Amino acid sequence: MTKEWILPKGHLSYWLRQLRNTASLIAPLRVDGDIVFKSLENIHEVSLDNPALLPSPKEFLFPQQESLFWVEDGTKVRQLYNNEKRFVFGVRSCDISALRLLDRFYLEGYEDPYYSLRRKNTVFISIVCNNPDPTCFCIGLGTGPYLEKGFDIQLTDLGDRYFVQAGNTKAIRIIRQWKFLFNKPKRVDYEDQYEVFLSSKARFQKRISLENVREYILAGKVKDSFWGSVTERCFECGGCVYECPLCTCFTVTDRVYSFGIDRVRLWDTCLFKGFTRMAGGILPNEKKILRTKRWYYHKLIHYPDVLGGFGCVGCGRCTVTCPGKIDMATIAIKLRDLQDND
Amino acid sequence: MIAMDKILTVCPYCGCGCGLYLHVDRGRLVGVSPSKSHPVNRGSLCVKGWNAHEFVIHPDRLLSPMIKDKGEFRECTWDIALDYVAHRLMEIRDRHGPDSIGILSSAKCTNEENYLMMKFARAVVGTNNIDHCARLCHSSTVGGLAAAFGSGAMTNSISEIRDAKVLFVIGSNTTEQHPMIGMHMLDAVDRGAILIVADPRRPQIAEFAHIHLRHKPGTDVALLMGIMHIIVNEGLVDIDFVRRRTENFDTFERILRDFHPHAVERITGVGIEEIRRVARIYAMEKRSMLFYAMGITQHITGVDNVRACANLVMLTGHIGLPSSGINPLRGQNNVQGACDMGALPNVYSGYQTVTNPRARRKFERAWKRKLPLKPGLTVVEMTEAAYEGRLKALYIMGENPLLSDPDLNHVNEAMKRLDLLIVQDIFPNETMQYAHVVLPACSFAEKDGTFTNTERRVQLLRKAIEPLGNSRPDWEIITELSRRMGYDMKYRGTYEIMEEIALLTPSYGGMLHHRLREVHGLQWPCPDVAHPGTPFLHRKKIAKGLGTFITVEFKPPAELPDDEYPFILTTGRIYFHYHTGTMCRRTSVLEREEPECYVEINPDDAEVLHIKDKSQVRVSSRRGSITVFARVTDRTPQGVVFIPFHYSEAAANLLTNAALDPTVKIPEYKVCAVKVEPLIKEDRRPRSIKIVDLEDLRIT
Repeated sequence: MTKEWILPKGHLSYWLRQLRNTASLIAPLRVDGDIVFKSLENIHEVSLDNPALLPSPKEFLFPQQESLFWVEDGTKVRQLYNNEKRFVFGVRSCDISALRLLDRFYLEGYEDPYYSLRRKNTVFISIVCNNPDPTCFCIGLGTGPYLEKGFDIQLTDLGDRYFVQAGNTKAIRIIRQWKFLFNKPKRVDYEDQYEVFLSSKARFQKRISLENVREYILAGKVKDSFWGSVTERCFECGGCVYECPLCTCFTVTDRVYSFGIDRVRLWDTCLFKGFTRMAGGILPNEKKILRTKRWYYHKLIHYPDVLGGFGCVGCGRCTVTCPGKIDMATIAIKLRDLQDND
Repeated sequence: MIAMDKILTVCPYCGCGCGLYLHVDRGRLVGVSPSKSHPVNRGSLCVKGWNAHEFVIHPDRLLSPMIKDKGEFRECTWDIALDYVAHRLMEIRDRHGPDSIGILSSAKCTNEENYLMMKFARAVVGTNNIDHCARLCHSSTVGGLAAAFGSGAMTNSISEIRDAKVLFVIGSNTTEQHPMIGMHMLDAVDRGAILIVADPRRPQIAEFAHIHLRHKPGTDVALLMGIMHIIVNEGLVDIDFVRRRTENFDTFERILRDFHPHAVERITGVGIEEIRRVARIYAMEKRSMLFYAMGITQHITGVDNVRACANLVMLTGHIGLPSSGINPLRGQNNVQGACDMGALPNVYSGYQTVTNPRARRKFERAWKRKLPLKPGLTVVEMTEAAYEGRLKALYIMGENPLLSDPDLNHVNEAMKRLDLLIVQDIFPNETMQYAHVVLPACSFAEKDGTFTNTERRVQLLRKAIEPLGNSRPDWEIITELSRRMGYDMKYRGTYEIMEEIALLTPSYGGMLHHRLREVHGLQWPCPDVAHPGTPFLHRKKIAKGLGTFITVEFKPPAELPDDEYPFILTTGRIYFHYHTGTMCRRTSVLEREEPECYVEINPDDAEVLHIKDKSQVRVSSRRGSITVFARVTDRTPQGVVFIPFHYSEAAANLLTNAALDPTVKIPEYKVCAVKVEPLIKEDRRPRSIKIVDLEDLRIT
């Protein structure tokens, strides 16, 4: 179910102000040379036309560090839930696609109560990308630059106005609360939106087919010597996993204070040998090559087999963060070149 | 309170000085992300940086001042603790003189705090006995490079690395210890640069090297002199540069003749052909950068090693241009700054020597106190003085000598003999057990100030959260203490301290907080408020006028292997940990990755000794003995073993030798003689086996 409206640009700040009255509003802001997501204090500071390097909004559903429960007197357990209602404004389409995979991991089968509550309390307002980075490659994966479905609220910048799409009943209700700000779209608006889609697609510098890479790997053509050369360059920083909008690795630790125990969940990565440490200190993945290889296998082979889609949405963040330049795009291109020479 | 705030600040780990954002949710620290516009890390971080938020709120944090009473620490108010410290310090000063008090400042604290600490030592206590851990890592650099060029710091910027044509890395495990610098090096190699690594071990960076020289530990002087011998012999000297910009070449050249390649080959174990190739490649390319770290400095010949590096750079004219210079990689986040601020026994801020009457008068006028004339004691000398009873009180800010200093058993005894030991830190540490007073300080996330990274970039540290419990920023503690000792330091904030630093320190003249806020810091020298900072040093002219060739001689390490102790032990850091582990070992992911100490041993040696991978072994030297797990790997050459020094439960420094470099007193952490023995497993079979009849066990 999708409903559409037109929001004149002049109405945007008023609308955001109204949203902020009902929940906390998080948006991309320009600070100290970078763009970061943070609580919006001055509506006019929101940075809309972000050319590059927008961080992933994963932290708002699956925080880097989160207290799960608190134990007092050795017996009294108090679960800690974050019940804060949030609007996250200015997210990219690829990240919305990533949320769908995060949802499947955290909500299917066993439903993670912490994730679930945050998910219910958060509304994402995404913007169709009209300014992709050189590192972006969502276009080859169908995860961007715009979405047909799966979003909460999607805005398309048509110059003097936004084309607004609400993708679920909750989103429709939110728009209807301030109905007087929105107009009904005309035929020309649909045409203009399509025009934006076309021009956006034309701006991508990278086109990568992960499907080909997957087939090439499954055909057994990629030798361990290749993975060896990749592994050599791994700095074991974990950046690819931390930055990835759909990586889900976490670890759990207890902080024992004199007045109670705090059980904390923290981001972790499968690229570390200790991640799979077993009793007696046995490390099944002690060799670095096993771990590097597994990261790619997980995203390229395992995800499609189990969840029906690649474990990569083409956001290009690992390309930016990887100190050894062995990110998804680079490896996919290398494998494509190998394939061409076969 | 803001629901989700991001505050740009500087990483508290190594000298790279990466820019990172601290994520704060309603006053609680919840995460970290890299700055993408920062010139050093450009959107990357190493694993320590990514996890830098966690230790801050660890339950072990010291949250209240404590005074030891009948052998036990008792919490007390700040007033009581500070009055006690002030009273005791004044008492000791009056009875035994100011030089009976020693102060250890900290490379983990801000420039402002180091400056105040040095002012406290000199103006309030009246002693030059102030030093910090730079003594243990790069004092050789400060001494060696200052004499050759007049400035002891990286001459290039990190961002220049990618444009270099030759990278000569000697004694540095760059990708693991300065990961973001390693990233730039890898970038340069991808762009066609030639990478030469000289290291007895095989660090990760050597995997990318075109040439890897594995000389014997402690033979760096010979290796470098051998390279220079060939450069001179083959006429690859930049004669024009040597003539115009340097002095004392002739004397040096005479010494150089002794280092015939054959002799060098015998000493270092590196073939002549290899040495020749390196000499040619390094000398012939113009954009050559030389990097070194602890592998050069932590020897009894540390200063000579550094001088040899400096001579090599001058001989080939590889200095004073972008992507061309000599680059000591500083270990701590602010070790460059702590040195710049004069937390050293012989200099004020900006390396103005205490023996220079003009400099002293300048500081006396500004501080309105008479200042001591004689240079003070260094870290290791303070321990010695405490041992001998000459030093009565020691005030330690943010350091842990009981794990970081060499020959720990000796340090242990020295600390016990002190009349007053003040430990000011964020966590309990090994040294604290002998403390009389403990003062809880704030972590990097709870205070303002500046850090100076290894490329001389002075960057703003921004407060992200309020101080935990009763802890206070170090600078506030020092000012409070100083007031109680009758010297009122009046500062409303760290920016006012920086103003005073700028006034008295020529190279920091333009480093005012409001300027540093606008950009990712400024690189010194920055003499005035309009100056844009200096990306590379010695442009058009060597800082001190002419570069000086200083003659060096080869001296073997103080302790060499023999029949009883047949292995060379070399110590160092590992990727997941950092120094004495105060922060990283309280970070769950980092501690999980490397929870145990180990010794790296070559497979051939392991076979002879019947040591299996992951089995327990005992490593002993003449000074002590520890039990660790063996890691059998050819990363370490035959005859050499490596132990990281992070682990208090198996402290490598129980083994190390406190032999010192004669000039700057840096201990020889990189070479000492040890023996390795497999631990004989106790027979684990039960002594008597009782056979139980299955019938008896059956439940009927």
